[in-house]
Amino acid sequence: MPTTLRIALLAGLLALLSNLAVIGFIYWRTYDEAVSEMRQQVAEQGKVLADVYRSGGKAALYDAIQDTITYADPQTAVALLDAGGRQQMGNLAGLPRQPLQEGYHSALIRLRGQTTPRVGAVVLHRLPTGQWLVSGRIVGEALALRDTLERSLLIALVVATLLGLACGVVLAHYVGRRVGEIAAVADRISARDLSQRVPVSGAGDAFDRLGVQINAMLDRITRLMEELRMLTDSVAHDLRTPVSRLRSAAHEAAETDDPQEQEDLLGSVIRQADTLMRILTSVLEISRSEALTGRKQFAWFDVGELGAELTEMYEPLAEEAGAKIDYKRPARPVPLFGHRQLLAQAISNLIENSVRYGATGGEIHVGVQNDARHTRIEVADRGPGIPTELRSEARRRFGRLDSSRSAEGAGLGLALAEAIAHLHEGQLVLEDNNPGLLTALELPIRPSQSDGARA
Amino acid sequence: MGRKILLVEDDRETATYLAKGLTQEGHSVEMATNGQDGLFRATDGSFDLIILDRMLPGLDGLSVLKALRAARVETPVLILSALASVGDRIEGLEHGSDDYLVKPFSFAELLARVNALLRRREARIDPADHRLTVGDLEIDPLSRSVKRGGKKLELKPREYLLLEYFARNEGRVVTRTMLLEQVWDYHFDPGTNVIDVHVSRLRRKLEDGFDKPLLHTVRGAGYMLAA
Repeated sequence: MPTTLRIALLAGLLALLSNLAVIGFIYWRTYDEAVSEMRQQVAEQGKVLADVYRSGGKAALYDAIQDTITYADPQTAVALLDAGGRQQMGNLAGLPRQPLQEGYHSALIRLRGQTTPRVGAVVLHRLPTGQWLVSGRIVGEALALRDTLERSLLIALVVATLLGLACGVVLAHYVGRRVGEIAAVADRISARDLSQRVPVSGAGDAFDRLGVQINAMLDRITRLMEELRMLTDSVAHDLRTPVSRLRSAAHEAAETDDPQEQEDLLGSVIRQADTLMRILTSVLEISRSEALTGRKQFAWFDVGELGAELTEMYEPLAEEAGAKIDYKRPARPVPLFGHRQLLAQAISNLIENSVRYGATGGEIHVGVQNDARHTRIEVADRGPGIPTELRSEARRRFGRLDSSRSAEGAGLGLALAEAIAHLHEGQLVLEDNNPGLLTALELPIRPSQSDGARA
Repeated sequence: MGRKILLVEDDRETATYLAKGLTQEGHSVEMATNGQDGLFRATDGSFDLIILDRMLPGLDGLSVLKALRAARVETPVLILSALASVGDRIEGLEHGSDDYLVKPFSFAELLARVNALLRRREARIDPADHRLTVGDLEIDPLSRSVKRGGKKLELKPREYLLLEYFARNEGRVVTRTMLLEQVWDYHFDPGTNVIDVHVSRLRRKLEDGFDKPLLHTVRGAGYMLAA
């Protein structure tokens, strides 16, 4: 059974049930009220006649009974029976065969001039003389009222149920359309078109939320796929240079007769192999970080102290390269919830980058700033800097701005720093230091999605 | 100074190569090729060192390590692993290994670490006098003061830590990565000669004005402090 039909039937059924409940209540209340009103009337009439007897005696009662028969509406029943139950006066055509008893009764009675007995409500009073005073009415009117009520309520029920069904159809159609859109996108995605997105109506309803979430998920998948593709491409492409260097060194080592030269060449083979391994490790680290693994090892630590440690670590290297490195340590600890080892690597990549390409400027500044929610770790040099148009190239994996390939490093430093920033839900920014390059990691003090995080 | 080493490694070629090298160094090497066997042999506690591959058939290296530590076998464990990321290394150390070496590695690197771990074992058995001396070099770890030939040397805190580590491994090769891990506690590969620059600074402070070199460069491996 198609979903649309099922939803429509469900809506119809719900409408039927809820209308049944409402209509049942109306019916019960209305009928009940009509009946109790009539009971009251009957009781009242009986009481009046009894009172007449008490104050005026037999004669007055006879007159009153006569008057009631003559003037009251034709549905009224009134009679005086003797102690044996025979009618002495009154308008009853036949008496019910049952023992006489004080109080309210409902019975089939026939009035004089009527052909069929009908349901009536009567009150019996026993007079001190042993006679029975019968007073009541045929309740046919109330029954007629009930019939009318039943008919209209039934019509209402049918109409309401049909309306419910119609609403169900409309609703099912709407839901079907919205879900269908999402399903169609999912279909097209399964058919390998990852660029598809779920349309968002802007109504802000549950379907929109679902759509937005699916789209966000698709964005992330697309980004990871793109990363993976680029990575595979660049690994395949950029490993050629170190591998071919390694190959030629090994080849030459095999050819040469000079033992000294051979030893040098074999040393170079080992160095090239190490470089390759280092590249592969960096690539691995980048894809790990971009896939957000490693958050299990997040912990609180003081970035201010880490900055001090790393500045101290690179101070001799910077000095050899001709630059003085200084660090402005914040007065208070700068707590951050993150991966200390990976952030140490990211910051040292930024410092190494400045030492390698910006040491000519003579000075390198390392600084840590923070506000209530973010921390910024920056490394600034006075070197040649990177022109705006080349900055995205600088972040790219294996992107090296000097084409000579003579400088060390595979061009993964900034890409890794950026991936580690992403792991922390932060970013790597490259800015102009006027002159020089300023690189900074901007990180939230605590990533919003860190699992198992506790202060 | 031959020691008993248990080598748990499923790759036969690597295992043979390592066992040969370690035997040449005078150690006796016993081999296991899977986790269960390794764990079984290791639990008798008679080894001075266990070299444990992380990825083993059956029971993996970290599980073997966990089982050993749970059984209160405190033999030093050196993990070998192809899992090279910083996170993997931290995980290995957090599981109670004493050192973590990423494949591929040079034999010199492995040997340096093996020797350092074996020395720690000695130190545990025989707690020596707290003062360290290497030739005419005298180090007092309590006051963190250093003298050579009776003359006080002024070292920065990190230079002192570096020297103390060298002194505790006197006469043994110490590699750059060991220094980075043990003295700085960083587990990534910086890819520059940042460590060498620190060592040469320290060397200048130790040797300037003295004839005899103390801090030697060991080609293709690292450094060694020796009189």
